[in-house]
Amino acid sequence: MLQYETIFVTDPNLTDEEVDVIVKLVEQLTVAAGGKVIKTEKWGKRRLAYPVEHREEGIYVLMTLECPTQHVKEIDRRYRMNDRILRHLTVRVEDESQLGPSPMMKPRPADRDEIPADPMLAP
Amino acid sequence: MSRNERGGGRDSGRPKKQFKRKFLFRKKKFCKFCDEKIGFIDYKDIRLLQGFVPERAKIFPRRISGTCSKHQRKVMRAVKRARTLALLPFTSD
Repeated sequence: MLQYETIFVTDPNLTDEEVDVIVKLVEQLTVAAGGKVIKTEKWGKRRLAYPVEHREEGIYVLMTLECPTQHVKEIDRRYRMNDRILRHLTVRVEDESQLGPSPMMKPRPADRDEIPADPMLAP
Repeated sequence: MSRNERGGGRDSGRPKKQFKRKFLFRKKKFCKFCDEKIGFIDYKDIRLLQGFVPERAKIFPRRISGTCSKHQRKVMRAVKRARTLALLPFTSD
């Protein structure tokens, strides 16, 4: 069994309960396939970098799974069938750091403009 | 007056020296990831990736950023993954 990381972006109008239903479903499917969920992270509502299906925001959920390879196909198929999921991605875990909290969970600086510019990228 | 005629004799090395001095202040580029020994570039770390997609949201070329080819490929893959999740833009205007 391999470790995978799966992210999906849902419609921003979904309630917390409705998002939980999707999370539960992925969990149940994974357990049924003989795998397990390592972690679940809810990033909450985020602004999309570009509009998707006329929506400017999306609810992001990240899950790390340990499951048989075939299961990824099944999850992907379910994602595609669900029209409330705007975007999804499932990739192999390449680095141990992916098993811990993701960079998204780190506290954000107060303002994006206050992030010091990377000196290497300065002209 | 050509370059060789200017000094002559012992000063024949001068033009070369001037040329060198002109570029002395330019800092040598280095791969940021090799320097910090980062082996894995996370597509979720958009604060890091935003530094590689300035303004027009195009991926910063190696010739400017100095990233080594190995890490540039990783940056490329991370940016593309982030784009499919709408974490980073494909374009901006």
